Amino acid sequence: MTSTLKGITLKGSAELVAEFFSFGINSILYQRGIYPPETFSRVTHYDMSLQVTTEPKLNNYLTNVVSQLKEWLFECSVQKLVLVITCLETNEVLERWQFDIECDKSAKESSAPREKSIKTIQDEIRSVIRQITATVTFLPLLETQCSFDLLVYTDKDLVVPEKWEESGPQIIDQSEEVRLRSFTTSIHKVSSMVAYKRTDSA
Amino acid sequence: MDLEDDTTILTTLKSFNTFISRPERPQLPSERSTGSGILQSQFKRNMELLEAAERVHSQNRFLQLDQEKKQMELSHKRARIELEKAAFDSARDFEHELDRNQELLARVKKLEGREIEVNKNLSDQVEENQVLRRNLETANKKLEERDSKLNTANTTIISLKDELRELRQKIQNQDLLFSTQNLEKQELQEQLDLQRRKYHEISQLCHTLQAAQSSCSDHMIKIKELERRLILHEQDMSIVKTVKSEVAKVSDLEKEMKRLREENYFLRESRENCSLLKEEAEGLRKKLERMEKTKEELVGVELEKQRLAEKLQAWENLGQSTGLNIRKPEDLSREVIQIQQREIALKEQNYTLNSRVRSVERLQSELRAELTQQSIKTMEEQKKRETQDSLVRRLQKRVLLLTKERDGMRSILESYDSELASTEYSPQLNKRLKEVEEVLQRTQSHNTEMEAQLTKAEQDVGALRLKLQTVELELDSLKKQQASSAESSSSVSKEEDYTLRKKIEDLEAERQRLEEQNNILEMRLERNNMQGDYDPVKTRVLHFKMNPTSVAKQQQQQEVETLREEVTTLRELVRSLQEGGAMLHAQDSSGIYTPNISLSLPPSKEVQDLRKQMESSELRNQRLKEVFQKKIQEFRTVCYVLTGYQIDITTENQYRLTSVYAEHMDDSLLFKKGSSGSMQLMETEFSKTLGEMVDLHLHHQKSIPAFLSAVTLDLFSRQTTI
Repeated sequence: MTSTLKGITLKGSAELVAEFFSFGINSILYQRGIYPPETFSRVTHYDMSLQVTTEPKLNNYLTNVVSQLKEWLFECSVQKLVLVITCLETNEVLERWQFDIECDKSAKESSAPREKSIKTIQDEIRSVIRQITATVTFLPLLETQCSFDLLVYTDKDLVVPEKWEESGPQIIDQSEEVRLRSFTTSIHKVSSMVAYKRTDSA
Repeated sequence: MDLEDDTTILTTLKSFNTFISRPERPQLPSERSTGSGILQSQFKRNMELLEAAERVHSQNRFLQLDQEKKQMELSHKRARIELEKAAFDSARDFEHELDRNQELLARVKKLEGREIEVNKNLSDQVEENQVLRRNLETANKKLEERDSKLNTANTTIISLKDELRELRQKIQNQDLLFSTQNLEKQELQEQLDLQRRKYHEISQLCHTLQAAQSSCSDHMIKIKELERRLILHEQDMSIVKTVKSEVAKVSDLEKEMKRLREENYFLRESRENCSLLKEEAEGLRKKLERMEKTKEELVGVELEKQRLAEKLQAWENLGQSTGLNIRKPEDLSREVIQIQQREIALKEQNYTLNSRVRSVERLQSELRAELTQQSIKTMEEQKKRETQDSLVRRLQKRVLLLTKERDGMRSILESYDSELASTEYSPQLNKRLKEVEEVLQRTQSHNTEMEAQLTKAEQDVGALRLKLQTVELELDSLKKQQASSAESSSSVSKEEDYTLRKKIEDLEAERQRLEEQNNILEMRLERNNMQGDYDPVKTRVLHFKMNPTSVAKQQQQQEVETLREEVTTLRELVRSLQEGGAMLHAQDSSGIYTPNISLSLPPSKEVQDLRKQMESSELRNQRLKEVFQKKIQEFRTVCYVLTGYQIDITTENQYRLTSVYAEHMDDSLLFKKGSSGSMQLMETEFSKTLGEMVDLHLHHQKSIPAFLSAVTLDLFSRQTTI
């Protein structure tokens, strides 16, 4: 894996980013209580303890999405990844976790590894995940039964794979946005932000 | 064993012998080598010593080995004895063993014989066993067949029993049905009877109703006719009243007519006056208008007059203000003319002055040019003078130098002349002299050259100075020209500057505005990007088909559908329950129920009881009604027959009596029950014909039965005679 090499290649960067998304999505699902906490188990990664789901259907879905995302990251054709949380009863979108991805396309042509140590990347990822955990304090409570969906913003000329279909952007009306930290592997830059539906009392 | 020991001993002996023989051999080579020296002798001595030691050692060893050999021989002998004993014992044992072996062999043979016999028996028994097994199998098969037959018989029995049960149930059902149907038939028959009775009564009522209706309709027609007549009467009455009133008014009208005629005459007379007055009024109105217009004009005119007066005043005051002797406008015009003349004169002076100024300026410029030229010339003259002064000085210096030279030459010559006697030094002196002369010439030439250069330089400097002065003069003139023209041109440049600056300011303001717009648009774009907006030309939004939200929605829909199905099934159950309750009420006596309603039996029993009670009570009511009706009908007929009058209640407290012997259908007597309880006869057509009887029986005798009886008698008499 990339930990043994000195520099970051495009493939290694794609793997790092996909891994971050996998753990990030899991921790968001745990923090927001989309699935019951007893279905999560604790693992250690990035020098911190994270919660990962053990439900097989959900795991299967996440692995499918993340593997496809890794391919797209390698082709530099993905622009955003959005985790949308909808209320099941009213079909309203309550929260939107958006991750903007900027890819340095020159890395495709040069194929020379870039100088950035894995340790710094992991530190940056750790701070982003910590911040995600901290944002739960000011986000409004999700009282009703909710479910989530993952949307990927890709280039228009991309071939849509078999199990994927086009969808709307599922934007929240009257939303408050908060920009969070970003991290970069020197080939991919991932900046995160969260948008939530404004509660009338606030 | 002894051989082995011997062999060991022999081997040891052999080894020992070889060992002994060994040291003898190396001695020989040592004896052969004798003639080498002292070392060899020493070596030999050493070797001999070693050999001796070895011999000693070997002898020791030999002795040891002998001892050992002896010990070993002793031990060998002991061992041999022991071995012989052991051999003897073993031989004895061997013989015992042989005997035993023979005995065992004999036993074995016997056993073998037995075994053969036993085997034979075994085989026989096995054969018997097989035979028995076959028998058993056949028996088993038979048993199984019987079992199967029995099972089939049992099943047939069970089925037959079931059929029996079902048939019995069916019979019971049929019996129930039969009984229920019997009951129903009875009920229906009863209902039929009731219905027939009702039909009879209703038919009777119908007849009466029809009769009543016909009478009613006739009455109604009569009533309408009467109403119409009434209306006509009323109209006639109203007409009569109006006519009466009108007649009463006629006299008043005649008076009014007279008055009106007089007025008319009067009005006609006054019409002419009216027209005259109208014309006058019109004329006055026009005058009024004209007057109003003149008034307005007057007002305007007065204002103008005031203005003009003021102007006049001002004009008149002018004279005082300006200090001239003006009282009339003629004076003013005179003054104006004078002023104009003065102005003209002044303008002429102005023009002349301007022309003079220009000429003066021209002269001035010419003079300046001359001045410059003159100054140049003076400068040149000065320079010339200076050069000449310098020349003079130089010449003076030269003169001085020359005089000095001359003096010196003279002195030298004199010295030479004085020293002419000594001729030794003459060639040298001559030489020196020549040399000195040459040196002098050279210096002179050098001097002249330097003076020439100096003059040249001075001339150049003078020329340059001239040039400089001319240039300075030109510069001054140009500056003056510029100063005069700069004023005219600076205004133009100022205007251009102003416009350019204005343009710059405008452009800067626009730039700032555009920058602000740009910032605002960038903010909006950022905000939209944060909210998740995207450019459909460049981006596409994808998601997994089987994503958790869609799966959850599908599950919800399925749940909703299942709930709806449950709801529909439950509703059907409820409906069936309600119907089943009604069914149960009919089939309650037999006590049979369908499994669907089995759960709800207990509550519906109460319902059934209540229903039963209700129906029974209703039946009772109906029967009572019928009975009452019957009785009433009977009683009425009896009354009619016995008394001869049919008494009907038309409205509250009103009774209509119709006689048996009535000539017409509508001949009836109306009696009203008063508040005190007494009966009073109401007036009808028929009662009008019976006026005498009314007077006699009701008014005098005050007996209604007598009246009634009299009436019947009367009618009867009429009937019988007719």
